[in-house]
Amino acid sequence: MTTLLEVSGVSVSFDGFRAINNLSFQIAEGELRAVIGPNGAGKTTFMDIVTGKTRPDEGRVTFGEKSVSLLSLSESRIAQLGVGRKFQRPTVFEDQSVADNLMMALKKDRNPFAVLLFRPRSADLDRVAELAGEIGLSGALYRKAGELSHGQKQWLEIGMLLAQEPRLLLVDEPAAGMTLAEREHTTDLLKEAARTRAVVVVEHDMEFVRRLDCKVTVLHEGSVLAEGSLDHVTGNEDVIEVYLGR
Amino acid sequence: MSDLTLSPPARRALVLRHPSVLVFLAILALFTLGVTLLSEGMGAGVISTSFIKTLGKTLCFCLVALAMDLVWGYCGILSLGHMAFFGLGGYAIGMWLMYERTRQIVADSLAAAELPPTAQEISDGIASQIFGVVGASEFPPIWSLAHSLPLQLAAVVVVPGLLALVFGWLAFRSRVTGVYLSILTQAMTLALSLYLFQNDSGLRGNNGLSGLQNLPGLDHVPQAWVSLWFFWASALALGAGYLFCAWLVSGKFSSVVRAIRDDEARVRFLGYPVEAFKLVVFTLTAILAGIAGALYYPQAGIINPAEVAPIASIYLAVWVAIGGRGRLYGAVIGAAFVSLLSTWFTGGQAPDLVLGPLRIQWVDWWTVLLGLSFVAVTLFAPKGIGGLVDLIGRIKNPDRHGADLGPDAGALREREADQ
Repeated sequence: MTTLLEVSGVSVSFDGFRAINNLSFQIAEGELRAVIGPNGAGKTTFMDIVTGKTRPDEGRVTFGEKSVSLLSLSESRIAQLGVGRKFQRPTVFEDQSVADNLMMALKKDRNPFAVLLFRPRSADLDRVAELAGEIGLSGALYRKAGELSHGQKQWLEIGMLLAQEPRLLLVDEPAAGMTLAEREHTTDLLKEAARTRAVVVVEHDMEFVRRLDCKVTVLHEGSVLAEGSLDHVTGNEDVIEVYLGR
Repeated sequence: MSDLTLSPPARRALVLRHPSVLVFLAILALFTLGVTLLSEGMGAGVISTSFIKTLGKTLCFCLVALAMDLVWGYCGILSLGHMAFFGLGGYAIGMWLMYERTRQIVADSLAAAELPPTAQEISDGIASQIFGVVGASEFPPIWSLAHSLPLQLAAVVVVPGLLALVFGWLAFRSRVTGVYLSILTQAMTLALSLYLFQNDSGLRGNNGLSGLQNLPGLDHVPQAWVSLWFFWASALALGAGYLFCAWLVSGKFSSVVRAIRDDEARVRFLGYPVEAFKLVVFTLTAILAGIAGALYYPQAGIINPAEVAPIASIYLAVWVAIGGRGRLYGAVIGAAFVSLLSTWFTGGQAPDLVLGPLRIQWVDWWTVLLGLSFVAVTLFAPKGIGGLVDLIGRIKNPDRHGADLGPDAGALREREADQ
């Protein structure tokens, strides 16, 4: 498999605190990967760097077969290249309907004038309806996103990411605050998404990671501590020490 | 109100998707017709010429309030500088009005001389007439286009648009948002007004431009008619502006713009260039404000730098807040209601209020009342006057946004009940 995202030698500090320390990380096209680590391990900062929110002090981040450097691009350009991001807290546009939220996310020209002249065709409406079906929100298509439950908002956000058709999906703690049934649905959604694109899931919950059944990267103090299957990394001495305390 | 049909919205006309547009245009047309029939120009004389001018100016305020609502209510940019663009539009048209009228007066007076005047003599005559008051007798460079009506009309659009484009590009590119951006727009307004106050700004300093109510070459037409023309033009501009804004906020553009208002970082991660969207909205609304100003000042008759002062832009925000931001008719209601009320209170017609030893004279106390109502609206009725429309709508037809009407899965759904 070809490498989709390559992070090499990246470091970033905030006021002297080294959040990411010489981090190197690769993900292949169509791969599903879980990233775990204790609080402050740099999981969210890693996502901030890839999506352009934080600029690293040193290192390289390249994306795609042409190895485009992401470091000089704006957040919106990176998103247009095909990097989608889901935040920890569900962030959907609560004042707008589920259909509007999905329509906005559909992969289309993002230029203001193109958006101004855009009128949805029936193919676009069908796609929105189809996405709503996938995330289990068909019945709520015309409800305001603000009226949805916490779990439904999380799914709506995943649906919006799918609508963007990204090549790489970064998902930050998707199962936080969900009931057991909701977690199962979320796992299915992510596994389904990973069939056609690379997905990186940051998660705390080991049960959830086990259910994803994929390669795991353990971050600690801003760099990779261990990498491999879940059983492999949980058997690793260093990982046990970091997680259980010394 | 959410769209409850699954058919593509594009297949239905704008006015059908948003019935409030049709209602608004109908009310505006009826109002214009009614005022025209009762006007002095038509012979009825129920409404005086000066009140026609007040109404026409109010319509211009409604238009600039629409612009403010787009930029603040929809896009979330609290610009406290849109009255500067309004003033620039007024200056642009005022320059031609003043130049052309002075040229005719000078040419008429020189024509009586034995030798026909040269072009230079006419030009000098106009310059000393216009700039004598600031101790100058030559045309400053910015008046070089003032002889041409089409060019000055273009300036009505280009000057505010260009200023907004440059200012917006600098501000949005640096990601200045929220209250800092508001302060920056106030600073821009203050700088512009201070510059215009200077005698060597070339725009007659604190005297401003005057005599704008007299249209060049139409001295024989009574003001009763001129005021009606401008009233009609203002109504037409407001109607067209309302349609344009309704179109702007009808589709995905409105979705994105409102999303930027609610969470701009998230919109960036959706791949939308947030800064470009803000710049488009800021510039378009500045142009709209410029057009409104160009229609306003010929009715006011005079424009001076005090009109561009920062407080004017703050009033604009107050009108939109009281009317109800985030809905177009809210802005229009707010601007019309507050500015007409202000005219009444400050015109000295309002009876004094006697509270024991305290005698409240509205000319002085009106701003206090306005300030208090602004605070009250912000605290207790964030939707403003426009929110009343929701209240009526909800009693008649509760909007459940497509949720089940009954408790079980087989219950009638709102969409079915609607048909």
